[in-house]
Amino acid sequence: MADPAVYLEKLSAFSRMLRLEGLSVSPKETEDASRLLIALGMEDRDQVKTALRTVYAKSREEQNSFDRCFDGFFLSEEQMRKQAQEQMQREQELEQHRQEAEEELKLGGQPMDLSREQRETYAAMPEEARQRLRNFMDKYRGTAERNPKLYSEFIHSVFTRTLLEQQMLMENAGIGGQESDPELGLLYRDISDFKDTEIPKAIGIIQAVARQINGELSAKRRSGGSGGKLDFRRTIRLGLETGGSFYRLRYKRKPTRRKQLVLLCDVSGSMVQFSEFALRFIQSLNQVSDSSRTFLFSETMVEADPFKLQNMDLFRSFVKDSGIYGRGTDLGSALEQLCVLKPAVLGASTTLLILSDTKTIDQPRAVAALWEAKRLCGRVIWLNPIPERKWQYIRSIQTMAAICPMVPCSTLRELAAACRKLN
Amino acid sequence: MNIDELKQKMREANYVFDDTLATVLYVALQLGRPLLIEGAAGVGKTEVAKVMASALDRDLVRLQCYEGLDESKALYEWNYQKQLLSIQVNMNVQDKDTLTKQLFSDEYLLERPLLKSIRSEKPVVLLIDEIDKADEEFEAFLLELLSEMQVTIPEIGTVKAKSIPFVVLTSNRARPLSEALRRRCAYLYIDYPDMEKELAILRAKLPHVDDRLCAQVALAVHKLRSNEAILKKPSIAETLDWAAALDALGIRELTPDALRQTAGFVLKNNEDLTALEETGEEEHSCGCGGHCHG
Repeated sequence: MADPAVYLEKLSAFSRMLRLEGLSVSPKETEDASRLLIALGMEDRDQVKTALRTVYAKSREEQNSFDRCFDGFFLSEEQMRKQAQEQMQREQELEQHRQEAEEELKLGGQPMDLSREQRETYAAMPEEARQRLRNFMDKYRGTAERNPKLYSEFIHSVFTRTLLEQQMLMENAGIGGQESDPELGLLYRDISDFKDTEIPKAIGIIQAVARQINGELSAKRRSGGSGGKLDFRRTIRLGLETGGSFYRLRYKRKPTRRKQLVLLCDVSGSMVQFSEFALRFIQSLNQVSDSSRTFLFSETMVEADPFKLQNMDLFRSFVKDSGIYGRGTDLGSALEQLCVLKPAVLGASTTLLILSDTKTIDQPRAVAALWEAKRLCGRVIWLNPIPERKWQYIRSIQTMAAICPMVPCSTLRELAAACRKLN
Repeated sequence: MNIDELKQKMREANYVFDDTLATVLYVALQLGRPLLIEGAAGVGKTEVAKVMASALDRDLVRLQCYEGLDESKALYEWNYQKQLLSIQVNMNVQDKDTLTKQLFSDEYLLERPLLKSIRSEKPVVLLIDEIDKADEEFEAFLLELLSEMQVTIPEIGTVKAKSIPFVVLTSNRARPLSEALRRRCAYLYIDYPDMEKELAILRAKLPHVDDRLCAQVALAVHKLRSNEAILKKPSIAETLDWAAALDALGIRELTPDALRQTAGFVLKNNEDLTALEETGEEEHSCGCGGHCHG
């Protein structure tokens, strides 16, 4: 075995890397890991990996991050060879694409005014998408001869927008790194991207996470401690065990009053899948609220029967039967109807949860109605299925987020985090 | 003890394990750290503690956690009746200080599992089962024991461990455990075994059952676990029960009829039984994807 100092140095670098990945690693763990390496040696890579994982990773999620870090840090010989080969191949391909892109990104013989990142995005785009853009350019080539400036500006704006969308898609793809564990992967994936075959698994995860959140919330409530008045009856009864001396005191606990939840769900087109998952999640959280009422809306609003929310088929057929499926979104009208419902639905002890992507017709009306709903309710929270990194590009999100707190919920993990905050 | 010796001892205890499990147990032993085991119900978390007790030739002290568990049930309690009796008997004794001191001595102390495990002369294996069922306060209370191997009793002071127990904590992940507790433990996640391992377990635990039947049971259980419609996945204990039940009924072949008759041993709720029937109608009459005949 080489000088232990070399191993210690490597281990401390590895610990730093794990910290960057979000694992809480103390010097004690590094010390334990070095003791283990000395005891076990470095001959068996799998054994070293298991031993270090036992020391460093303290949950299943952390094990996942650990495995990724370990495989990146302690490369096996085979992996190193493979990586070098892949890297070389990737660079060659990229260079070839770059050269092709240089040729293709020309307007009237002049290079298009695009940033370096945009050019690289274009080079990395799949051939199909690039072909679509080229076809688009050819389609309007006739205009180029009549008005070269207009043509150039138009094509440029289309290219810029497509490249921006492509960049966003690529950022999204990065999250797919969690795919090494399919169960955890679903937690991190965009809900709207779930395939039909993945839905039962996702529902299983929802049930497990909801159970966990319920446990946390009830534990939090129980841990209220002995804050109330002395409970004479129970103290005296307990005192009988100790010959009448009040050795242990019992206190009354204040009954905890849970909030009433009102859910307003957008079920127009692309929102159906998200709303279905979010509703299922919130309904499973029996510790969050005493009672809840659910309203679904697109152009009009209807109240959902809780029994219809119990499974996906019932929910979908309910949405279709109620005539709100496949229509546009009118949030303003839905909120106005909700505010004037008799007997009143919104009150001081109500938390209004809006599940929507903020895309609505007649936005000024929606803004005014949201202000009114906020005035009537104890709390308004907006659960938004659009990933947070895209919010800066969408004006309606910025407008709504200025009125009420908005929580990103594009993945099951974010949805769970949002539900924890409801209590 | 090195890792090969540990493996040998576990083999002698008739335990089926893989290299990962052996390495994790060795690491926890080597570092003297408590071992936190998480996993679904019935994957054999508790069994690890039992096997370690047998492999290390130690007594097993078990603390079953539940909501409301407190120090008096887990650590110690004073024998109040005996103390009151002693006060009555010694009512006329002049030296009150000695009497008071005597009242809080070992004679009146009722040891509960945690105290018992650290006051034992011979090291033991301490199993703290289903820690996720206990309250957060109890979890915090355990920290001193797990990191310092000592506990503090107000009337006596700090009690240091006479021998260091090998501590195993298990959790079904019903609620997340605190960071502080996790940090003090080595961690192991046990998943359902793959088919080969399950078959090896069946062979080890039920050597009298026909090998062909064991293989059919292992395959059918594997299929049932991968069936998305089944909510409560069969555990290893249920697999063993099922194989034993089939054997007891004299069944040598896992036919669709045999599966229907004995499904209650492996699926424990009505929804799952219905799902099995439905899957069976669609694919194969026993719902195991047509593999039940081996």
